[in-house]
Amino acid sequence: MDKAIIVENLKKTYSNGTEAVKGINFSVDYGEIFGFLGPNGAGKSTTIKVIIGLLRPTAGKVYLDGFNIEENPYEARMSKGYASQETSVDDRLTAYENIYLQGRFFHLDAKTIEKRAKDVLEMFGLWERRNDLVDSFSGGMRKRLDIAGALIHEPKILFLDEPTLGLDIQTRHAIWNYITDLQKNLKMTIFLTTHYLEEADALCDRVAIIDHGEIKAMDKPGVLKSSIGGDIITLTFSNDKGKTDSFLPIIKEIDNVKSVNPLKNGIYQIVVSKNGDEVIPVIFSLAQQKNINITSVRLKRPTLDDVYLKYTGTTIREAESSREEIAKQRIMMRRMRR
Amino acid sequence: MKTLFVDSYYVALRELKKYFRQKTRMIMTLVQPFIWLVLMGNMMSGLTNNPFAAQMLGTGNYLSFMTPGIILMTILFSSIFSGTSIVWDRRIGYLDKLLAAPIKRGAIPFGKTIAAMVQGGIQSIIIIVVAILMGVRFATGLPGILVILIIAMLFSLILAGISLAIASKVKTIETLMAIINFFAMPLMFTSNALFPLKVMPKWLEAIAKVNPITYAVDPMRTLTVTGWSRTILPGIGITLIIDVIVLVWTEFVFKNAVSE
Ligand SMILES: Nc1ncnc2c1ncn2[C@@H]1O[C@H](COP(=O)(O)OP(=O)(O)O)[C@@H](O)[C@H]1O
Ligand SMILES: [Mg+2]
Repeated sequence: MDKAIIVENLKKTYSNGTEAVKGINFSVDYGEIFGFLGPNGAGKSTTIKVIIGLLRPTAGKVYLDGFNIEENPYEARMSKGYASQETSVDDRLTAYENIYLQGRFFHLDAKTIEKRAKDVLEMFGLWERRNDLVDSFSGGMRKRLDIAGALIHEPKILFLDEPTLGLDIQTRHAIWNYITDLQKNLKMTIFLTTHYLEEADALCDRVAIIDHGEIKAMDKPGVLKSSIGGDIITLTFSNDKGKTDSFLPIIKEIDNVKSVNPLKNGIYQIVVSKNGDEVIPVIFSLAQQKNINITSVRLKRPTLDDVYLKYTGTTIREAESSREEIAKQRIMMRRMRR
Repeated sequence: MKTLFVDSYYVALRELKKYFRQKTRMIMTLVQPFIWLVLMGNMMSGLTNNPFAAQMLGTGNYLSFMTPGIILMTILFSSIFSGTSIVWDRRIGYLDKLLAAPIKRGAIPFGKTIAAMVQGGIQSIIIIVVAILMGVRFATGLPGILVILIIAMLFSLILAGISLAIASKVKTIETLMAIINFFAMPLMFTSNALFPLKVMPKWLEAIAKVNPITYAVDPMRTLTVTGWSRTILPGIGITLIIDVIVLVWTEFVFKNAVSE
């Protein structure tokens, strides 16, 4: 088996009857960053917990690095690292102690831990703060520490459950950099979940859109986005109409250009199947050769939000707020009954 | 088996590192027994002037009678909170982190129990030192004190185990606290920790006889007040049996609670 993760017909129904995961199939290649994108309550955490053996699957099979989690729990456990949604670092221990214990829980000897703790703490910019209590750490530092700890036993596959949940934009970007570095420098396979569209877009080689425990769509973010139409380039020309019209066939010849539609007053809309950002410079250099004047340009790319809308019928924010509403109502109901 | 102990050691190490870091808690465990000994010692000294009471207590020094009781009471009120660490670990996701590691599942409650036993041992030593400073003479000397320590730690295993078992079933610290508070005080006062069985009304004596504190306190008191005697064996034996039962039960409840 040459896949890092294989999930076959996975179902998970909690003992209270909640069908959190309703039969999903996917596989992840070695070295890939694979993302689960979906609103709160979609079943992302449940899927991770079943894959890494924290929950028993109701049905279906899971292979981690070729090991079946139920038949070879030890090997499967050793091959993966896990940073939970809750950021489970111990506040009342120092950063180093957190890492040290994590190493011991993975049965490493003192020498190995000493060496690797330094490596991972340096990698995540925490070496200087190693002897400080985690109590004094910011949310971003805790998250980094948690991920660093998950790497202590050099796992092949890293599971990150909502790695930037609740962090501010800058901190999120910093975490993204750490994650892409792991892929680039350590050839790590990374499975992450998120309900931030930008995050899935920025980080993942492939994305699965999950809603109500089912995978609705799965592909490269670019492919998903182009599946709903493609980029739209809006150009404004300042030449007389005849000259501009003579230029339009030339634009149509450019790779990926699907159609050119005139709007009004020298404004034209160009639909591109993908990579609109790469088409624009081509148009510009051709325009220069033909002495065509372009006074403004705008690129609108479909977002994963558009994709999400297409496959689930709601935007991710609507889905979340409506689910919050339902939860609130439920709590209200319970109070009323008492 | 070896892995179980190694894993438990590091689970315990985590708890103990945190324990030693909590200065206030450390000071409280020092101050509390001191206050108990001074207060109770003074309050009850009138009692021991009465030869009849002295005979009931088995000693003219109420402090000697009290010391084992205070050791167990202190342990009771600290070990019984062991469970809060499981509820907390569950809340912050640390429990999942432990369960996702290749450690033996049983090591989690066992390690936390060991930590409680070590804390119990440390508290006992502090109380014993304070007691000696206040004039208590242990009839069996240092070897006897060692046996007292062991019994005290075996006792803390019982409380920690019960607490951890309950904790693995409840969701919030508040629920756990409510359950603990419901049991802790009655457990203390329906034992012979502070008063001898002989002065108890019949109904209380009946309850005291099924209270595990009674069985731990009995040999500890013999070693403190009387001296070496075969009569310490039943108490130690029963405490050990309860230990085994509690351990097996705790492990069972915990493993059951974490396997969804
Ligand atoms: N321990 C549990 N017991 C019962 N239901 C649960 C449990 N954990 C999660 N759920 C339910 O399963 C569904 C999926 O939850 P989860 O996997 O946490 O979603 P996500 O991580 O995508 O937000 C939700 O409806 C949630 O309420
Ligand atoms: Mg989640």
